[in-house]
Amino acid sequence: MVEKTQGLVPVNKHRILVANRGEIAMRIMRACHKLGCSFTAIYTAEDTASGHVRLAREMGGKNSLFRVSSYHDANELMAVADATGCTAVHPGYGFFAEDFRFARRVTKRDRQLIFIGPSWKIIRELGDKINTKRLARSLDVPTVPGSDRPIYDELEAERIAKTVFAFQEQQGIDHPLVLVKASAGGGGMGIEEVYDPDQFRSVYRRIRNYALRQFKDEGVLIEQRITDFNHLEVQIVSDRSGRSPVHFGTRNCSIQSTGRQKRLEVAPGFAADTLTYTFDADRVLRDIVDYSLAMARKVGYDNVGTWEWIVTRKGDPFLMEVNTRIQVENGVSARISRVRGQGDIDLIAEQIRIGLGEPLGYGQADVTFDGLGIEYRIIAEDPNNNFTPWVGLIERFTWKPQPWLSVLTHVPANEPYEIPTEFDPNLALAIVWGKDLKEASARGQEFLRDLQLNGHNAAGQPLQSNVDFLKASTERILRF
Amino acid sequence: MKDISALLEAIKAQPFRDIVISSPHTGTVTFADIRKGDKVLGPQGQWKEKPGTLIATLERERNPKPIYAAEKGELTSIHTELQGRFVEAGTPLAVLRHPLTRAEVESMLLRQALHLFLAPERAKYYFTPDVDKKIRASDAHSVLVREGMELLIMSRMKREVPLLYTGPAGIIYAVYFKYNENIDAGAPLLGVCPQDQLPTIQEVIMRVQTEWTEKD
Repeated sequence: MVEKTQGLVPVNKHRILVANRGEIAMRIMRACHKLGCSFTAIYTAEDTASGHVRLAREMGGKNSLFRVSSYHDANELMAVADATGCTAVHPGYGFFAEDFRFARRVTKRDRQLIFIGPSWKIIRELGDKINTKRLARSLDVPTVPGSDRPIYDELEAERIAKTVFAFQEQQGIDHPLVLVKASAGGGGMGIEEVYDPDQFRSVYRRIRNYALRQFKDEGVLIEQRITDFNHLEVQIVSDRSGRSPVHFGTRNCSIQSTGRQKRLEVAPGFAADTLTYTFDADRVLRDIVDYSLAMARKVGYDNVGTWEWIVTRKGDPFLMEVNTRIQVENGVSARISRVRGQGDIDLIAEQIRIGLGEPLGYGQADVTFDGLGIEYRIIAEDPNNNFTPWVGLIERFTWKPQPWLSVLTHVPANEPYEIPTEFDPNLALAIVWGKDLKEASARGQEFLRDLQLNGHNAAGQPLQSNVDFLKASTERILRF
Repeated sequence: MKDISALLEAIKAQPFRDIVISSPHTGTVTFADIRKGDKVLGPQGQWKEKPGTLIATLERERNPKPIYAAEKGELTSIHTELQGRFVEAGTPLAVLRHPLTRAEVESMLLRQALHLFLAPERAKYYFTPDVDKKIRASDAHSVLVREGMELLIMSRMKREVPLLYTGPAGIIYAVYFKYNENIDAGAPLLGVCPQDQLPTIQEVIMRVQTEWTEKD
């Protein structure tokens, strides 16, 4: 019933099921609060001590929190949504965020709900990396050479790898590399590179077995590994009309762990006014924004999404994939954005508002950018040991408040917190703003210097974190 | 090896354990026709193909899920106040006092008698593909382990690292973990029996077989 009256029901009459955990669940709850709508949060036994559980109790009132058996169980989410009278579901990132079957179920069931994300058809169309590649090619948007569907057959995989090696040799690349990745994977997991064609088969088998264990799908993608590149993103926002997508600028996410997981993001994507590049950086940023908007218009994109790009040292961009969801790093784009001159943009609140059917209410000309934002992902891990996750008890986690700083975390400030092993060991996101690269970097260093993060594990060893890695990485922000 | 006789006497002094029957997921509860003090049965049949006594039904998304007693015993409490209510996952529904079976006592004693290879971290554990293949082809007893052998894969936060076996050489006598389930740090993963101690282990099993009487 809700879907039929979509757009007519005022935002503050809705109740949103927050189908996620940790800091993103907290951001969604705060966005709901800002918009005046109710929410119901969920948690599992492992997350009892998480800040999102406490915030739901503090902020939510009746029916604001339910314990479920798993965040991965759609039946749990639907049952809680029905029992508490939810009218919409916000999937956050991860879990069901890019699962078109879940989005379809939400909107097609007897008691219909609104899925706060793109429509399920768009998730299906762009969630398939191969389909995205085909769509991009049809619009003359450049993509990385490689397989155009998941490969399940070893002989076929070997044939494709051979072709990709040969293609690179023809192009005069000295050390050709092939990337083998789990088709159903994401977030940098289940990816390995092959430098020797004779090693391909063993890497292929390893990734295939890993993919089967972790993702229950042994499909593997094979493509050219481009080694010298920057990882850029374009933030797109578009209302349910799908006709007038707007971009909220670019981000540079090149500083990553050895497992290719993002650790530091910067908006905008390059700083051509301060740094020298071997290519026309402003033109590259314009190109990737234009390509992204062209694709968004073509599919009638109707919520928030991110177009991910590889930019080579020569300044050639290749589309990697489209993430049909809100991303962890959306806050750093929001931090430098203004709409009709007003700052304090909340892209999650915008996502909910347009997801519930409100028109966006502004166009590209109304969106401007100011300064430079850095987002640090503070994680319990050992960068000196291949970024191995660290598990144990956090006893102290404090920082000095600053007007240019916002810290998003689910780790309680005033009591010890045991890191659950079931999920990624992200502890916090810190977003720093400066008027330019120099000021933002200096403030970033100041924040990291002031940060207190201590704890110990079961063996009594001290907490390991990536803070030193982030300090060192701040020196190379936006440098190619 | 610990004093098995003393352990067996300690178990005999308290020959039961209390099992809390909880809702496995959210849903609306309807209790079966059960009362406090009722005797219930666990799964029956040669292959345990017949479910135990129905305790309650949990309905979620129009799917009724029967919740059966997983073991035999006596119901010592029932949360009848939850009748007809939508409950969270993990909500206790009833408590069952279960008399220990011969196999359970045997397992408890074996945990004391075998060399236990413990989980170093809370994580999911898998056998390496070679070992897994061998176990599937015959059984765990066919695998001989030795110090330094790459035996398991430890998976935590989607990151996998090989886990080398430490301890005396022997055969895998008992496997205490299941695939895709998290095992707490310090919990046993495997019970290993050095080959020269096999007769002693057989003796433990024999004693339980002869000395333990199962209660109805």
